[in-house]
Amino acid sequence: MSIVPAFPEVLRQILKKPVTNLFPARYLPKSITGFLNKVAAGEATINPPVALPPNFRGKITYDRDICIGCKLCVRVCPAHAIEFLPETKTVRIFVTQCIFCAQCNDVCPVTCLHMSDEFMLADTNRYSENLIVE
Amino acid sequence: MSNKPVYTIPIGPIHPALKEPILFTFDIQGEVINAVDFAPGKVHRGVEWMGMRRNPVQIVHLCDRICGICGVSHTLAFARAVEQIAEIEVPERAHYVRSIIAEFERIQSHLLWAGVAAHELGFDTLFHLAWRVREEAMDVIEYLTGNRINYGIVQVGGVRRDFTEDQFPRIRKALETYEGLVNKLVTLFLEDTTIKLRCMNTGVLTEKDALELCTVGPTARASGLKMDVRADAPYAAYGDIDVKAILPDVYADCIKGDVYDRIVVRLFEVVDSVRIIRDLMDQMPAWPVLWETRYAKILSTCKKAEGEAIGRVEAPRGECFHYVRMNGSEAPQQWKVKASTYSNQMSWLKILQGEQIADIPIIVASIDPCMSCTDRVTVIRDGSPDVMTKDTLHRLSVEKTRRLQA
Amino acid sequence: MIPMITAAVLGCIGIAVYGMFFGLVLQGVDRKWAARMQARYGPPLHQPFIDIAKLLCKDNIIPKNAVKSVFNAAPVIALAASITILLYLPIGSIMPVLGGWGDIILVIYLLTVPGLAMVAGGLASGSPYATVGSQREMVTMIAYELPLAIAVVAIAWRLNAAGVADPFSLVTLAQTPVWGVVGIPGIIGLLLLMLAIAWVTPAELSRVPCDTPEAETELCGGLLVEYSGKNLALFSLSGAVKMVAMATLTVVLFLPWNLTWFIPLTGAVGIVADLAFFVLKVLLVVFFSVSLIRVGMARFRINHLVTFYWGYITLIGFTGMILLVLDAVLGMGVVA
Repeated sequence: MSIVPAFPEVLRQILKKPVTNLFPARYLPKSITGFLNKVAAGEATINPPVALPPNFRGKITYDRDICIGCKLCVRVCPAHAIEFLPETKTVRIFVTQCIFCAQCNDVCPVTCLHMSDEFMLADTNRYSENLIVE
Repeated sequence: MSNKPVYTIPIGPIHPALKEPILFTFDIQGEVINAVDFAPGKVHRGVEWMGMRRNPVQIVHLCDRICGICGVSHTLAFARAVEQIAEIEVPERAHYVRSIIAEFERIQSHLLWAGVAAHELGFDTLFHLAWRVREEAMDVIEYLTGNRINYGIVQVGGVRRDFTEDQFPRIRKALETYEGLVNKLVTLFLEDTTIKLRCMNTGVLTEKDALELCTVGPTARASGLKMDVRADAPYAAYGDIDVKAILPDVYADCIKGDVYDRIVVRLFEVVDSVRIIRDLMDQMPAWPVLWETRYAKILSTCKKAEGEAIGRVEAPRGECFHYVRMNGSEAPQQWKVKASTYSNQMSWLKILQGEQIADIPIIVASIDPCMSCTDRVTVIRDGSPDVMTKDTLHRLSVEKTRRLQA
Repeated sequence: MIPMITAAVLGCIGIAVYGMFFGLVLQGVDRKWAARMQARYGPPLHQPFIDIAKLLCKDNIIPKNAVKSVFNAAPVIALAASITILLYLPIGSIMPVLGGWGDIILVIYLLTVPGLAMVAGGLASGSPYATVGSQREMVTMIAYELPLAIAVVAIAWRLNAAGVADPFSLVTLAQTPVWGVVGIPGIIGLLLLMLAIAWVTPAELSRVPCDTPEAETELCGGLLVEYSGKNLALFSLSGAVKMVAMATLTVVLFLPWNLTWFIPLTGAVGIVADLAFFVLKVLLVVFFSVSLIRVGMARFRINHLVTFYWGYITLIGFTGMILLVLDAVLGMGVVA
């Protein structure tokens, strides 16, 4: 079958299990948000996403209590996603602007910034509560 | 043939044959292409403008995003330019880490291209297969750097993450997977009759044309030009290991410079990359991986730096070239990016001439174009895009140089 | 007369519904199979129904420089012609509704009508992509008609040589398996003809490797590029019905057996058993000549397509025909 080498290959494949990861559901639900709400309520089960690697860079977390307001993170942020709040000497991070490079984590002298594993961040509102970290 | 009417077919800016926006205008006679013209500049994003308002530590992450596929190549080229200006010595191990990531990037980029090429030929099974096996490289990159794309691993003066001994088994597993897959991929791509029919003697770029049009990377090598920045001007850790330019004669008997040869070069470069990664892993020196871990010191060193330099890197698509000029301020005074597609795109005019409409997608894709890497200029005056001739560009650059000197 | 017309009308409506429903199911199955062969799960089986329902909800957009009447008429003609083919084809042991008024030659003519309607629609839509697509569709039709005709004529001629009356009638073809009347050279010949027909099917249905007229990556849909909404839904339905027609034609020519010939089942049970067996045969044909071929190959260039059909497939068809003729001349198998 060297004329059409794909034929034996696809015939072998039909007997094997497909490799697609069926996240979040096998077929597209009528409404994704509706489906996720159902999952939260325990009415539906979600197919888990592919496992995250160690040191994955997801949504940023910020511990404002130990922040010393040195502004180093503002200086190295490539996306200008971090805003310094002079009144409280803390920062505010806009997640929609963040490019997840984690450079602020590296530079922070008191390590008050971390990257979490959270990646489902889609939202219709840029300034929703979930997408502003302070 | 000559009495058939000539009609014009526009392809682009958005078209299923194109993965990125660019406008082609074809004069067609019957099914044959009479004349070609193209207008890039549809995805200009002003990356250089942004860079000239940021410090080098910020720009390295901007570089990651010039292109989604060859992220580390741009970053590496920029970092090398800045390191030369600021006279920063990069630790040995960082060179190795950079090279390993760059080679994994080459593997995933070439497999991605192979998939796209198969799709352009209407062979979706191979598209799915190539992208499925590409996942292995993506997984390793994700495992090593934290993300699948936009790795964010290169820093001015080294790399931000080290590879530890316990990560090596995962890398070796991926390399073994690819070594096991090579024969299958070669059979499916290179022995298939329909692919041979479509690709052999299609889009031929002779060695002379390839040289005259200044093509780079796999496009040039498929035409028989022995050029590879890794071998010609070794950077990172490539000086320590044996790198040779892959020419299509590794598989075929003669070099034709057609689309088929470009598939051959890319597939066998994947094989070679696996070998290079193995060599690099065997020779890895001890750490550190960053010249200076305190970012404040990197920033102040870069701020003090004055001068200009270029960084050249062999990206998966060919030579990637960054020019940086710093004048003792926070941001670089000038930053120019020349991606490999910029050098390769002029060959389209040559290789599309006289071919059939059916072959437009595969010929256009055969140089692995990346428009978002390439588009550095777009001129919009009075609301309409303006075409700039060579003379105008020359005049403008002379004027700008005078302004800078003043 | 009146009850006969009523029966015919009801039969036509029934066949139309059956054709569209079964066609869409076949498309769903084909998509599922193709997905499995590409290591995917694929869309749900009823995805084609969802697609059609969505298209039917959408507006028709007619380009400014289109010839409006032809542009709108083409999809209707294509669907009508596709359904008409089914009226002449038997389904399992149910004999064709209009079996008495037409034979397989008519079916071959009717098979070209949806293609011609698409060509007309493409040319009328006033887009350069559609124009190129229409030209390619015409060339494709010219390329695959010859092998198809060879296969049909050869089989009918062999049946005639065996003394079967009215060999072009579909009723005869469906009730007389040609395999029963041939000797060993004839069997080889029939296998070759079957191969030729299996390759004609993807061309007839515009599937990879013969989807050159639609060529998504080159012509963004070719002759269908300007179609949208309801018109596109009609074309999609016509494609689905045509898939049933082509698969049924192959079944009638080469696999006409019914379950009731071997197992004594009578009445409704027999009809249902035959229908189930028929569906199985159609699925088999679809798997080999649509799904497998379309996932295993790259798209042909138009000149390759012509070379392939006029060169290789016609050659295979001719060899098959000559073997059938030899079979009859040498007196192997049944000769009248």
